[in-house]
Amino acid sequence: MTVVTANKLLGDPVDRVDGPLKVTGAAPYPSDVTYPGLVHAVLVQSTIAAGTIRSIDAADAEAAPGVLAVITHENAPALAEGPMTPLLGPAPPSPLKDNRILHHGQHVAIVVAETLEQATAAARLVRIDYEETAPVLGIDNPEAAVLRNPWGLETQRGDAAAALASAEVVYDETFAIAAGTNNPLGLFATVARWEGDRLIVHESTQWPTMARQTLATVFNVPENDVQVLVPYLGGGFGAGLRTWPHAILTALAARLVDRPVKLVLTRPQMFTSVGHRAETTQRLRLGATRAGRLVAIDHVGTSTLGAEAANMEFISIETGAAYACPNVATHDRQVRLNIPSPGWMRGPGSEGNFAIESALDELSYTLGIDPLELRLRNYAEVHPQSGLPWSSKALRECYRVGAERFGWTRRTPEIGSMREGNWLVGYGMAGVTFGGAQLPCQVRVSIRRDGSAHVRSAATDIGTGTYTVATQLAAELLGLDIGQVRVEIGDSDLAPAPPSGGSSLATSLGGAIRDAAGNLLRAFLNVLAEDHRSPLQGRRRDDVTAADGRIHLVDDPSVGETYSDILARHELDELAADGEINPQADGAGMAPSGPFAARFAEVRIDAELGLLRVARIVSAVDAGRILNEKLARSQIIGATVMGIGMTMLEETIFDPGSGRIANATFGDYLIPVNADVPDLDVVFVGEPDRFSPIGSKGLGEVGIVGVSAAIANAVYHATGRRIRSLPITIDQLL
Amino acid sequence: MDIVSTLRVNRTERPFTADTRTTLLDALREQLDLTGTKKGCDQGACGACTVLLDGKRVLSCLSLAAQCEGREVTTIEGLARDGKLHPVQAAFIRHDGFQCGYCTPGQIMSAVALLKEGRAGSDEEIREFMSGNLCRCGAYPNIVAAIREVARLGSESQ
Repeated sequence: MTVVTANKLLGDPVDRVDGPLKVTGAAPYPSDVTYPGLVHAVLVQSTIAAGTIRSIDAADAEAAPGVLAVITHENAPALAEGPMTPLLGPAPPSPLKDNRILHHGQHVAIVVAETLEQATAAARLVRIDYEETAPVLGIDNPEAAVLRNPWGLETQRGDAAAALASAEVVYDETFAIAAGTNNPLGLFATVARWEGDRLIVHESTQWPTMARQTLATVFNVPENDVQVLVPYLGGGFGAGLRTWPHAILTALAARLVDRPVKLVLTRPQMFTSVGHRAETTQRLRLGATRAGRLVAIDHVGTSTLGAEAANMEFISIETGAAYACPNVATHDRQVRLNIPSPGWMRGPGSEGNFAIESALDELSYTLGIDPLELRLRNYAEVHPQSGLPWSSKALRECYRVGAERFGWTRRTPEIGSMREGNWLVGYGMAGVTFGGAQLPCQVRVSIRRDGSAHVRSAATDIGTGTYTVATQLAAELLGLDIGQVRVEIGDSDLAPAPPSGGSSLATSLGGAIRDAAGNLLRAFLNVLAEDHRSPLQGRRRDDVTAADGRIHLVDDPSVGETYSDILARHELDELAADGEINPQADGAGMAPSGPFAARFAEVRIDAELGLLRVARIVSAVDAGRILNEKLARSQIIGATVMGIGMTMLEETIFDPGSGRIANATFGDYLIPVNADVPDLDVVFVGEPDRFSPIGSKGLGEVGIVGVSAAIANAVYHATGRRIRSLPITIDQLL
Repeated sequence: MDIVSTLRVNRTERPFTADTRTTLLDALREQLDLTGTKKGCDQGACGACTVLLDGKRVLSCLSLAAQCEGREVTTIEGLARDGKLHPVQAAFIRHDGFQCGYCTPGQIMSAVALLKEGRAGSDEEIREFMSGNLCRCGAYPNIVAAIREVARLGSESQ
């Protein structure tokens, strides 16, 4: 496996290429789209969590000014179920199937009217008579159905039970993390339009290729007759990985009223309609020697699940990989409740890290070993499950560089020993081993006679920087300036791409671009194969490279010619080549690495008021080759901010009686604001990854992982209070 | 009930017909094709819809369009002059003060007003007075850096 060796543009802190569009308000998000004759839709949602609809009286709504349709299960045509989704499992159930209610906030009708105000007013006139039954709520509810090992991903090595029974030191605690809601700032929107049997949808999705497949399946039309467009998305954080029922309803409404229809979810609907991070509990048992060597890990993770929905919540996915421990067992449980379907929220698996890294901190006090030293004593030099060498791992360097920048040695180990005035000061740290896959991805790259290059793929940029790093990569590989490269993404008609999700896209798309760029140079050489006028005639791919808009011999840069000259002489407007990446499932003899990181946090707690403030966080991250340091730093900073939210603020509260989300607004569900965020230091360490064709590893999620444990460990250091539940709130510190 | 009214937006008279219930935000977006101003909550809690009304920052989702007749509305589309970005816009790009870009128009309008209000004297002050504008991508430190730079350049040029 080779990596990109030239490093002229890659890594440069290039400004976002989509920056000018975004700062002028000109970047088109799905909710910005309009068409002549466009009408508006508003959802009606159930006000009970379980039961059936006895009857619907839509007469007043239908008679209201401007109303074109009120669609309910009574008059909706039957829709097929969506397809099985790679990574995520079965699609959410299609809407308006029958009269059953499975959760509070379930879509029970969609009202279409000429204007948004008319649709909003009419939606309030739909009267629904329910037959209510007692909802199954609460993760501990004994009546809830429990799924064991639902994805077949439980792991086992050695004999964890026996090792725990004979361990010198045993740790056994439980952890609880509240449900959280992704809450991208961009309200999810669908604008749907039918042209005959062809469906065009502007959709808030992180995965246009899958959205197209889902809509085609549900409406029973060929995939080629569905186009999903999302050139810009107002954030996703996992909420846009699914094609949710509201999108299907909008397309259905557009078909029934035969007009383009726009639906924009309200903020409260963003809590019930597009997934959320499941509530989780964990039981974690560790066995260790007095010298601080782990001998056993037994990790049980339980997450909540919708009544008929599917979701993979990887609580313990990294448990077996994080440390060199001979005996490990992980167990996955899901509990079915009458709640809106959970889904992925940035960094599934961060929950497990909170437990493991908190537990190691506790162990460090029990054993009298520095928390950082304890982690080094259990460092996994090779992948502990497979025994294979990592494709890259600079976690040791993360610890060293992070500790140095943070000033870890200034920490005095005794609890409450670092007081400053009325503030109790605490230092805490956490290690991070995280996943991140390369996924199959295709791209088409072309060069036009004017010397410009065009990169086209159904990938998305959800704020992650796809436009920018794809531009940099194509420019570097084709020897062009950044200004000569145009990236077109966010269109399902383009080459199929994986989601902006699972920390996978930049590496996957980058690998495909690298492949396409090589193929494009080959295509140019093919054009020149019989061209006696070309100094490159008869040359092979390995003989040439590209720079300054021209192809030239590796050995003699003076021998070559420009793309433009070649295309002009051959009367070609454009030459294109396709590229793809199909990652080897066997890892080519390596353990494919995800990113690694070390987080160091300083907290301050008011000794009398219990007020908790994060003073600073240092993140040292190994994400392989960094494609753009400016954007990469922003990714880590942003995810750290979300981690602060998860740790100290965010909790989606389900009313235990009704199943209604009690805080489904930004006034009640608190996310970090500017004043909540301290100095965040980010440093990248490590080498290009050997398994990744461009050397990069995923960056999108690792920034949130480890924040919770680092803060909680710092809280313990400051106060002696061990908080094993998130969010950490003031009542726990008083 | 419909009203016929005129808004003065970005130095241009813009007649429009709308429902009496129409907010300034929806009038801008749905009637006047000015979609740069964003809807993030429609409840006055996120700041994505921030515009300037007679030079002061307001939440356009909490303002009725009919109430804004005869007043000067400035949106993100009206900030650049003669194709040249406003210094705050340029600083946001330089400091990477956004990721998805959805909250950015509101952040920038808020920042422009904050500088006029004289609330950019320190990082703490910027953080406090920009806290009405949520950014879920978490670009806050970069937003502060962008505003700090414009504030410093502004005070140097005076």
